Amino acid sequence: MIANILDGIVLGLQFGLLATGLTLIYGLGGVLNLGYGQIAVVSAITVALAMDAGMPVLPAVGLGLLVGGLLGLFLDQTILRPVYRLRGEGRVLLSLLLTLGVSFIVDGFLNWRFPLKALSLHIGGGAVEILGVLMRRGSLVASAITLVTFAGLFVFFRSTSLGRAIRSVIEDEDGARLIGIDPKQMLRLILILSGVLAALVAVTRSMVAPVDTKSGLSITVFALIVTVVGGLGNVVGALLAGIILGIINVIAAKLIGSYISLIILLGAAAVTILIRPAGLLGVKE
Amino acid sequence: MLEVTGLSAGYQGNDVVHNVALRVDKGEAVMIIGSNGSGKTTLFQTMCGLLSPSSGKVLFEGDDITGIPAERIARLGMRFVSAARHLFPRMTVQEHLLLGAYPNRPDPETMSIVLDLFPRLAERRRQRAGTMSGGEQQMLAVGRALMSKPRLLVLDEPSTGLAPLLAKAAYEALAVLRERGLTVLITEQQVPLAMAFCDRGYVLENGFIRLEGTTEQLAANPAVRSAYLGVT
Repeated sequence: MIANILDGIVLGLQFGLLATGLTLIYGLGGVLNLGYGQIAVVSAITVALAMDAGMPVLPAVGLGLLVGGLLGLFLDQTILRPVYRLRGEGRVLLSLLLTLGVSFIVDGFLNWRFPLKALSLHIGGGAVEILGVLMRRGSLVASAITLVTFAGLFVFFRSTSLGRAIRSVIEDEDGARLIGIDPKQMLRLILILSGVLAALVAVTRSMVAPVDTKSGLSITVFALIVTVVGGLGNVVGALLAGIILGIINVIAAKLIGSYISLIILLGAAAVTILIRPAGLLGVKE
Repeated sequence: MLEVTGLSAGYQGNDVVHNVALRVDKGEAVMIIGSNGSGKTTLFQTMCGLLSPSSGKVLFEGDDITGIPAERIARLGMRFVSAARHLFPRMTVQEHLLLGAYPNRPDPETMSIVLDLFPRLAERRRQRAGTMSGGEQQMLAVGRALMSKPRLLVLDEPSTGLAPLLAKAAYEALAVLRERGLTVLITEQQVPLAMAFCDRGYVLENGFIRLEGTTEQLAANPAVRSAYLGVT
């Protein structure tokens, strides 16, 4: 059981980081990015191709993160422009449709050009014993990177003036504008950040299991479920929900079967919405 | 310092304020008084850039700022404190004050001036804005605006939702700021409070400026006395 919980935490940390990228965009701009998983996949394939071409691991990963960030910026500058002209529900719906379209195009392109490409980063060295359980070194490195990233995000949002400015837009957009903060500029920054986070999740995920060209949709779906459970626009909620759902996922897969675990996750999300419509840590409007 | 001419604005093509002209000179305190629904808040929102005017001009220190978005106007040295306050509920008092100076580095001297002016904020620096009382929130909204060292402070109904004693205290704090040379424009429903504080004023009725003059002139006007001062 301890082994399952530890595996669940490893998975859950990645779920949490995945949801963070999605939830920040939604909280800040009311934009739902269904092309999120494709950003992760394109970044992963970039890393794999760069390594095929002989680039060492670290620069290749750096390139992958850069591509993730640029894709976020590209979305902001192109298909999200008409989205920003709308407000409220219209904005959510149009962003959902347009980014879904982008995800289909990207998926189609990847399956055409790189049907069998996948990224898996092998972290050398033997298993490490934790609480009497043997853990793969790849899982531990992935979790460590994720935890450091979360710590960095917390420091950024708590203690830097740019981080506080971004939070202020999530809290009250007009209030932020009245003190000279440009919400569009903050949203652009967050789209870049979310692209980098998607790429980072793809890279850390590939240390545990291969990330292939068909992973995009499932990444987006997991991110959405965790976002809904954690509360929209809430980083702490995303982390908490990620860990809880990660543990549920691993235990359900173990006890019943992996085919059922996604259904159980969806069930958990549905129950959360029924009991706490704003998510675990969400605040009622 | 601020000059508004022929300003009309409203929502979805229906103007709520019509052809408004007003002026605020450096060092002055000016009031816009009017009853509920007279268009004070629409006028305020148009001047601060949250709403685009359908016609007219707004000049700040000689620059045309008509129709410029709120975030750019805020950086020009004119700060607006809305009646809705627009605080950030889950952020602390301290974070609000630091953000007030954004994108500049918060100035420690300004911070101590604000905390001296509102000792309550000093006591509650770590408290979240959403858990504070109406009076404290009003202080925080003004304090946040002051952190940017504005040359002109525009307040929309600073006494709204405050108990009479707190409303009086709010105006006492404003009086201190005036002595430091701040120029102030206020919209107010509780006319006696604003009258005691301001040099000049405008009366807004149904979206039109009906009267203007020094506070003495307005206080002596029979229509103003019966409508806003409760004197018959």
